[in-house]
Amino acid sequence: MKKILIITGCAAMVVAAVSCSNVRREEGRAYMPDMSYSRAYETYASTEALDKAGVFYNARPVEGTIARGDMAAYPYKNDSAGYVMSANVKNPLDPAVVDMKEAERLYLVNCGICHGTKLDGNGPLWKGGDGPFPNAPRNLLTDPVVANMAEGTMFHSVTYGKNTMGSYASQLNTKQRWMVIAYVKMKQGQGKTTAAPAAAVADSAKATTTGK
Amino acid sequence: MILCKPIGQRLTVLFLSLFVSIFSVSAQDAAAGKTLFMSKCAACHNVFKDGTGPALMGLEERHKWADHNELLKWVNNPSAYMAGDAYTQGLKTKFGSLMTAFGDITLKDVDDVVAYINDEVAKKAKGPVAAPGDTPAATDSSNQNAIIFGVISLVLAIIALILMQVNSNLKKMSDDVEGILRPEPVPFYRNKVYIAMAAIVFFIVGGFLVTKGAIGLGRQTNYQPEQPIYYSHKVHAGINQINCLYCHGSAMESKSATIPSVNVCMNCHKAIQSYEKGPKLYTEDGKEIDGTAEIQKLYTYAGFDPKNAAQWDPSAAKPIQWIKIHNLPDHVYFNHSQHVNAGKVQCQSCHGEITAMDEVKQVNELSMGWCVNCHRQTKVNFNYSDSTGNQFYSIYEKFHNDIKSGKMDSVTVKDIGGLECQKCHY
Repeated sequence: MKKILIITGCAAMVVAAVSCSNVRREEGRAYMPDMSYSRAYETYASTEALDKAGVFYNARPVEGTIARGDMAAYPYKNDSAGYVMSANVKNPLDPAVVDMKEAERLYLVNCGICHGTKLDGNGPLWKGGDGPFPNAPRNLLTDPVVANMAEGTMFHSVTYGKNTMGSYASQLNTKQRWMVIAYVKMKQGQGKTTAAPAAAVADSAKATTTGK
Repeated sequence: MILCKPIGQRLTVLFLSLFVSIFSVSAQDAAAGKTLFMSKCAACHNVFKDGTGPALMGLEERHKWADHNELLKWVNNPSAYMAGDAYTQGLKTKFGSLMTAFGDITLKDVDDVVAYINDEVAKKAKGPVAAPGDTPAATDSSNQNAIIFGVISLVLAIIALILMQVNSNLKKMSDDVEGILRPEPVPFYRNKVYIAMAAIVFFIVGGFLVTKGAIGLGRQTNYQPEQPIYYSHKVHAGINQINCLYCHGSAMESKSATIPSVNVCMNCHKAIQSYEKGPKLYTEDGKEIDGTAEIQKLYTYAGFDPKNAAQWDPSAAKPIQWIKIHNLPDHVYFNHSQHVNAGKVQCQSCHGEITAMDEVKQVNELSMGWCVNCHRQTKVNFNYSDSTGNQFYSIYEKFHNDIKSGKMDSVTVKDIGGLECQKCHY
């Protein structure tokens, strides 16, 4: 009788030691749960209870409202007509006033991953064809399509996505998107002045005559 | 003999150069084609996968493209070609947009690009280049060590028990021989010394475990839940160098760091539809993961059909219910922007080496002692007068004066109120 007890005891211990995994999949218990878990709705908390109670909630801003510090929404829709119209939209930010350091940071975080830190279209996701991305990102400095693109069209593409590029409206607000475009245009301008100063002068002359 | 050698040499040189030139013609074609493909075509086309435009593999077997003159006409002026051609009209409806015209492409360019495409297809048919095989994560050696140590100590304990038994038996025998009369020995479970020792050990061990358990209540060190999709931070933030703020951008601007919406995932995964180039993936329990199947899970949430990418409606996507790992109790206030934007603290300081984790786990205990310790030690970047300093702290005039006069050499978070109760509890 005693022997059986000892043997089963030992066996149970061995089983417990073997089956013990040190991957912690459970979050554990809380001390005083009423102080640990918020009764109010917190960011990213489930809103299923609201649905059940019949309260309308869709986590979207009311249409026509503008967040503090942001700018008025872009007027055109995501269709081919909107794409054509976008060419006439001018950057509402004055490039001289834009905080280029912050704009560069936004570019490096959000765009550099594909279009490259040097805007050469060779970011870590492409890596000259060795990265996971199947299509080459545009070289923002030399690709004829992008180098001559109107800033409004750029904004349209960044807002709604174009070809394999997705929409960045959920990552960058209107003002940040215009800042990034001001940064890209500044870099393109630098490229042009070193390559062909005359063309840049002609371009800017055209811009001043057409703008207003 | 003297003449023979130079002639022989010349002949070999001649043959060699002939040999090289024959082979270099085709090689050059593909190489030139590669340069052309990368600069002009790759933005929309991939050899093996549909992108903005169709995959170009097996191009010559489709439509009339075996005739490169037809192909040239199409590439030079797609809209004119499409007017009288049903096949390319069908392509336009399938992919949603018409190909850009490349007026400067010549017949030689078309030959080169097609040579490059066929070259790539042939390379792939030869079999995939052996990828550096990743061995599964070493099963926890510490766990195995614990078992070994346990077994050894169990064996030793049994031996000790047997020896004690032998010892007492021998003593009894020698006592019998010498004729010393001793009272019948008490069994160990009634021996008061043993009972007292066991009680002390029980209180020490029990007290330690109870205290440890009580402190651990509500703390989640090493918490590593299984997420609805196996998302590897190692692959995304480590190997592919995606910035933390690409997905968690509002760590700069608000209390919570963003949990990315499906749209953010789809920014890249609209195009990256399979997991091919990275190392093999394993869960923490050692189960192998098929990366492509995990991307398919994302498509289910997004309502995205890879075969019909142009028709995707992002507004129909359903949120992925990721499980939050780093939780603080409700009576603690923590703000990401205060630390990331104002304090310029790196994400890794609190979250650990995220770029090396396949499945994220909580590395630090996120206890009050841990917070306070960091607030005591961390120096604030105070020299705001030069460009490297942090403008956020420009209002602390007294400290700036003290630094200037040499009274203080640095300012820690504690000095600017980092230990006040109300900063985090209110």
